Amino acid sequence: MEIDIKRLARLAKLKFTPEEEEKYAAQMANIVAMVEKLPDLDASGPLIDPDNPMEFRKDEVEKKYSRDELLANAPEVQAGCVVVPKTVAE
Amino acid sequence: MELYRLTASELSRMMQKKEVSSVEVTRSVFDRIAKKEPEIEAYITLNEQAALQKAAEVDEKRAKGEPLSPLAGIPVGVKDNICVKGLPATCASKMLENFIPPYNATVIEKLNAQDCVYTGKLNMDEFAMGSSTETSYFKKTRNPFDLSRVPGGSSGGSAAAVAAGEAVVALGSDTGGSIRQPAAFCGVVGLKPTYGSVSRFGLVAFASSLDQIGPFGRSIEDVAMLYSAICGKDPYDTTTARREYPRFEAGFSADMQGVKIGIPDAYFGKGVSDEVRRLVMQAAHKYEEMGAALVPVTLPEPDYGLAAYYIIACAEASSNLARYDGVKYGYRTKNYKTLDEMYENTRSEGFGDEVKRRIMLGTYVLSSGYYDAYYKKAKFTQKLMEGMFREAFQKADFILSPTAPDTAFQFGENSDDQVKMYMNDILTVTANIAGLPALSFPCGFDSKGMPAGCQLIGGKFTEQRLLNAAYAYEKAAGGFDLSRTLD
Repeated sequence: MEIDIKRLARLAKLKFTPEEEEKYAAQMANIVAMVEKLPDLDASGPLIDPDNPMEFRKDEVEKKYSRDELLANAPEVQAGCVVVPKTVAE
Repeated sequence: MELYRLTASELSRMMQKKEVSSVEVTRSVFDRIAKKEPEIEAYITLNEQAALQKAAEVDEKRAKGEPLSPLAGIPVGVKDNICVKGLPATCASKMLENFIPPYNATVIEKLNAQDCVYTGKLNMDEFAMGSSTETSYFKKTRNPFDLSRVPGGSSGGSAAAVAAGEAVVALGSDTGGSIRQPAAFCGVVGLKPTYGSVSRFGLVAFASSLDQIGPFGRSIEDVAMLYSAICGKDPYDTTTARREYPRFEAGFSADMQGVKIGIPDAYFGKGVSDEVRRLVMQAAHKYEEMGAALVPVTLPEPDYGLAAYYIIACAEASSNLARYDGVKYGYRTKNYKTLDEMYENTRSEGFGDEVKRRIMLGTYVLSSGYYDAYYKKAKFTQKLMEGMFREAFQKADFILSPTAPDTAFQFGENSDDQVKMYMNDILTVTANIAGLPALSFPCGFDSKGMPAGCQLIGGKFTEQRLLNAAYAYEKAAGGFDLSRTLD
């Protein structure tokens, strides 16, 4: 099974050196061979647990955290906003 | 008697009788940390000053005669993927090296309400991905029974700290065995609760449909006490179940008369070492002596479980870890011009090898053209497995198996062969896939002197039954022997 490491890396926003690509291709081939051991079966139907249904909470705004507290972990902040490189061409 | 050696329930009773104070207990644990930490390296962050301050507060409350919970003043260690406000939560990753959560996980809010004392944040595999704690960005934690061996993983720091007396009890998380396997490797007790019984709010997500927080302890009673304190419905985690939970430690029954224990042949078969098989079967026969019956049950092929697990877990991880983009929190590369470069370099520099491998595998199984062959098949296998467990529980009250195929291995032994490393999880992943509670308790030592773990798996929300059975074994065995790691 040929695994296109370059394409996957692009999708996952990761970058590898050519040596790393080679290493990952070999390792992933082994892992994929392991996970291919699955039975062919059709068990379609809902994948939910009827005994323990999920409950959503009301969509209400709660004031729990201050903006400063939340931004304290951001790598770069200006005037209460996170800073990112330019995203739109002029 | 050194206080750090005692269990939470023993310390709790002594504190209630005012024979010792929480400050004395906490000091004893930090003295122990100072002595053992250079060789064990279980902690990423220590919390000594705040812990002693909290202990003093608890002592003051007690002196005033305020009503206190049994866990009040008990030193608890916390795995580093669980958010404690103001303490770093690194997930043992360079990506979150400087992340300080502005909020508490729900389990921490619950333990705060019980006046617990936090010793610090415990080492783990990076983002909980691993079975030996070797993928941590910061350090390697050593097994207290043999410093040349791994403590298991991913909650290796939690298991090692409890075994070595560097914490009285600890919290870990279990996505595919990350509580039970390190508990087995370090000779302590670990419980992976039913999916939906403990809130995941404030637990850094790995595979959200499988992750569950759970307790470590040196006795069944301690694990039951900590579990009673953290379970329950949480509006901040939709997947938590609405139901009433008892105080588990109050309801112990060691009566095994007429109990039916399911023995799945396939879980004792190929890959399981002879010594582990013998020790676990000895535990099974001990139950027979107590009046239980062993009945054969058929469970899903362990190979299928492992395959389905790695597909589902990695698929969810690749989505969950997309949030590490260098924008809102965490590491950001210095080396970029465009937005895409920032994303790619941030993630490539911030994540370790194992995390990248799993993101790549998850991306692969979800990518167009492969979804049906992998993810969909894995979800079907999950349903098949749930059905087989339901059938098994018609015949047996719970299932008994080894926790891991072998006892703790040496550092580096499995690092170059991922598939061999993943085989460590082969007996634990099925409980996560089926959402079931499972517990590991120590059942003796192999010829190398390393502890083996016996796993009990029950139907959903049957934690009390599992705790009872483990308690019956503990009583019959005269307790779990940690004299070598606590000395």
